Amino acid sequence: MAVLEVQHLEKRFGATRVLEDIGFSLEKGRALAILGSSGSGKTTLLRCLNFLETPNGGRILVNGNCIFDAADPATQRENEVRKKRLHFGMVFQAFHLFPQYTALENVTLAATLLAQERGASRDELAAIRDEGLELLRTMGLADRAQHYPHQLSGGQQQRVAIARALSLKPDILCFDEPTSALDPELTGEVLRVIRSLAERETTMIIVTHEMAFARDVADEAIFMDGGRIVEQGAARQVIEDPQNERTRRFLARYAAGGSD
Amino acid sequence: MFWTVTLSLLEGTAAAAELFFLTLIFALPLGLVVSFGSMSKWAPFARMKANIPAWLRTFRPVSLVVRTVVWVFRGTPLMLQLLIIYYGPGLLWNNNVWGSGTGGRMFAAVVAFILNYACYFSEIYRGGIESVPRGQYEAGLVLGMTRRQIFFRVTLLQMIKRIVPPMSNEIITLVKDTSLARIIAVTEIIKVGENFMRKGMIWPLFYTGVFYLVFVGVLTLLFGWIEKKLDYFK
Repeated sequence: MAVLEVQHLEKRFGATRVLEDIGFSLEKGRALAILGSSGSGKTTLLRCLNFLETPNGGRILVNGNCIFDAADPATQRENEVRKKRLHFGMVFQAFHLFPQYTALENVTLAATLLAQERGASRDELAAIRDEGLELLRTMGLADRAQHYPHQLSGGQQQRVAIARALSLKPDILCFDEPTSALDPELTGEVLRVIRSLAERETTMIIVTHEMAFARDVADEAIFMDGGRIVEQGAARQVIEDPQNERTRRFLARYAAGGSD
Repeated sequence: MFWTVTLSLLEGTAAAAELFFLTLIFALPLGLVVSFGSMSKWAPFARMKANIPAWLRTFRPVSLVVRTVVWVFRGTPLMLQLLIIYYGPGLLWNNNVWGSGTGGRMFAAVVAFILNYACYFSEIYRGGIESVPRGQYEAGLVLGMTRRQIFFRVTLLQMIKRIVPPMSNEIITLVKDTSLARIIAVTEIIKVGENFMRKGMIWPLFYTGVFYLVFVGVLTLLFGWIEKKLDYFK
């Protein structure tokens, strides 16, 4: 069964249609790349999945349960939305780490707050701390746990942000152009981490402009243009042998070394 | 003579300090409430189906009322507000709500100062809150945090760090503004100095400046210490 199913998703800002009839599904353990030029609606799609935007139409199903239905206001109550968000993890382009907390505290804050809400014991809180340290270790940041964000490089900050997004064990991890704010030298270390997550069969949606990376790491790909999906299929096929004219033109520009 | 003057001025300083601390204790939290009011996005007509003009859809009554109040308190002299608040009830309704004597005058002065300073503080808070990047709030949301948790655990400290310099400015101004209370005969530092001047002594009036300098000096050290304490993050 698909972990995620998106049906006829639609989003308007005023009179502008930003997303139109978006539909796709994602199997557990697979990675999906979302490609397309700036303004094609990729980021808005991710934001809709994380309930940072409310779609105007369509449905979102996780593990077969409908968690959002534009036609049913009962699925949009703030209290429940908060819990539903936890199905998704989100890694932002600009990291958005909390500056007043150490790397470790950034990773453990949300889990600690949730645990305190249900009156967790001291042992449970210690376990959350250990898990946080373990996550940072898998990101190659064991020695940076007590550093504050401003003491870390951009690549290190983004890896802390990935650990933070993983801390609540989301069903699906979303990346919104995770390397666009990094210089080429730092891009590599973040891509390596995402690649290792893919190898461990983390279910992921990755919005990216790194075509070679998307081709190698993603299982499936969606190409968006003007708020619509114009092409979807196996990542290798969409990127190496696109069928749609718009996709071809976009990818040709990448092949020529231009950026969008 | 010097000790007589010093002791009198210390009494005036006690009155000024009372006004100063009471104003801070109440105006600091009240200012935060006022800032939430002026940032309120509650728009009762925004989603109305009926055909109504566009300006009515964007009409935010809470924000409008609060901003108007802030405009009045920031837009008129504190001295005028002191006079109206102290004498107004007695003159308009023949009812001096403040009670008589020193206590009543101090009470009225404290109320006027709290209202005035809460309005100034609210704008500083608003600037601080709005300067924290929206991404911080969104990062909290996607981690399943409540709005309250995001405010207290994420935004608040970043806001405090940003508002320390403008706040210290405003609080130093408050120290010196306490001298305005003499307009309703609160015997604060300058009033004491004036009393000596009427007896033909000019130097006590200059001497009052020393008391303000010491008061502000202590505050400056305190704010410097707070800024240093918050220096650990950027």
